[in-house]
Amino acid sequence: MQAGGSREQEARNYLEKHRIMELLSYLTSALLFFRPEKPREYLISILERLRIAKITGVAFPFFMDHSNIVAMFEMMDTSSKGTISFVQYKEALKTLGLLNKDEVLIDDGHIITLDKFRAEVNKRTEEIWSSF
Amino acid sequence: MDATTAPHHIPPEMPQYGEERHVFELMQNMLEQLLIYQPKDPIPFMITHLQQDNDNVPKIVILGPPASGKTTIAMWLCKHLSSNLLTMDNLMAPKFSSLAAVAREHYQKMKKMSNTLLVRLIQERLREEDCIRRGWILDGIPATREQALMIQTIGITPRHVIALSAPDTVLIERNLGKRIDPQTGEIYHTTFDWPPESEIQNRLVVPGGISELETAQKLLEYHRNIIRILPAYPKILKVINADQPCVDVFYQALTYVQTNHRSNAPFTPRVLLFGPMGSGKSLQAALLAQKYGLVNVHCGQLLKEAVAGESKFGELIQPYFQKEMAVPDTIIMKVLSQRLSQQDCIERGWVLHGFPKDLDQAQMLNSLGYQPNRVFFLNVPFDSVIERLTLRRLDPVTGERYHLMYKPPPTLEIQARLLQNPKDTEEQIKLKLDLFYRNFLELEEFYRQATTVNADQDPYTVFEYIESGIINPLPKKVP
Repeated sequence: MQAGGSREQEARNYLEKHRIMELLSYLTSALLFFRPEKPREYLISILERLRIAKITGVAFPFFMDHSNIVAMFEMMDTSSKGTISFVQYKEALKTLGLLNKDEVLIDDGHIITLDKFRAEVNKRTEEIWSSF
Repeated sequence: MDATTAPHHIPPEMPQYGEERHVFELMQNMLEQLLIYQPKDPIPFMITHLQQDNDNVPKIVILGPPASGKTTIAMWLCKHLSSNLLTMDNLMAPKFSSLAAVAREHYQKMKKMSNTLLVRLIQERLREEDCIRRGWILDGIPATREQALMIQTIGITPRHVIALSAPDTVLIERNLGKRIDPQTGEIYHTTFDWPPESEIQNRLVVPGGISELETAQKLLEYHRNIIRILPAYPKILKVINADQPCVDVFYQALTYVQTNHRSNAPFTPRVLLFGPMGSGKSLQAALLAQKYGLVNVHCGQLLKEAVAGESKFGELIQPYFQKEMAVPDTIIMKVLSQRLSQQDCIERGWVLHGFPKDLDQAQMLNSLGYQPNRVFFLNVPFDSVIERLTLRRLDPVTGERYHLMYKPPPTLEIQARLLQNPKDTEEQIKLKLDLFYRNFLELEEFYRQATTVNADQDPYTVFEYIESGIINPLPKKVP
């Protein structure tokens, strides 16, 4: 039905525009990781902080901070050469939920250093959070 | 982190927490509301939604032909669940709503309710505080397909829809005995539901429109409409036969509205089967393992495997086997936790039987973090157990197991040479059963969410019961 189809499209656009799925994914991960006694109150507190962060422009504390990114990089870079392979880089981004499903990363042949990895993770996280 | 070389191990506390707190359903409800209303500012909307905490309030629609007793059922459900009743009449009643005044005028003029007005009235009513906090029960609305579609379009979705049904002749006759109490608005019946107090009896009035002809006309109208409304609620509909005492109808309706529907939440079954010897635990466990890919963990088997495999546990256990003494709990726990913490158990779920035997073992199992999420008690009367176990025989030549009643040997020659396991004599079985029942009460108390299954039937019937117990969400105990 025409009406049904367009409302469905509207709904999909809405999800995309406000990045609802990423937000829900983040909330669910936070719940499962911290396992608070009172899940609703905990979710409300995260959402309140997010709302305030948006209004005041203060940076929201992300899931992964600097030390986590370094730790993750070191776990992948088992021989401590200071770089990781392209496949590892792509998988890491996927694990963190920072890679869109149909996005295709192009291997430009350059090696991926810690700085480049960190910059990319931060850039993508920023992008997602700014649209909440 | 590096998923390319080693698979991720998710700590089991996470899925357990997710199951207990119904995290999936929580998120699903929030997403549904977001998609229906599509607020410009999703975050404040989500905060309000979470604060309302009304995912589990009743949202019920009751439909049925005239004289089916739907108003009575609706009122009883309302009282029992402390919810709000919405009927065509009381939607138009509020004095302070301009919309209701417009609706009343329209009804007086046209003798019929306009669909748009009705739907807007419902929307307004549902936004009030008491409907948000305690849910709502719609009695007889939607009456036509247009109404059903309009309600759906503005985003009102019931969680349970009950349709009462009865043969027309019964309904026409029933309607003739209908009486109404003008003070409380409750409906009584001259034969089926007569009020005991004589003062109520005296003030009952005969309502208009109950002659045979009028009822028949209303029924015709009802049948024409209901056939097009019911397909709008495919998964949440339940049809209840109204041609029974109204108490029965009420209890069926109450049980239904208190069950949750199956959701798509990820669920790894961790099943515990309890029962005396001969109740069929091993058989059911094998069937479950085969159909659902669960890991069949038989405690006794595990211990024997450890001994046979001559692992370090095996060496510890061996002396107990030799002396025919019970293996101490600590060793059993170590062997069991080693098995249950392996990747295949965590991923696919498990079926445990033969353990725990008493309260201490059950508490130890819990403290190690391997709580089962479905527990079944298989009930078998003593005589059935004796019958099932004492008639077991073994053919020493082929190794085939027979049962003199359920699986008799094909030829007399085989029958002549069958042997019986000395553990299967009546005295031995009685001893073991006594031991089992001594611990049974404590275990029943400990596993309060357990389901009792009548295991005195053929194995496939029992299997179906257990299956439905695992697949459907745990029933909420009626307070």
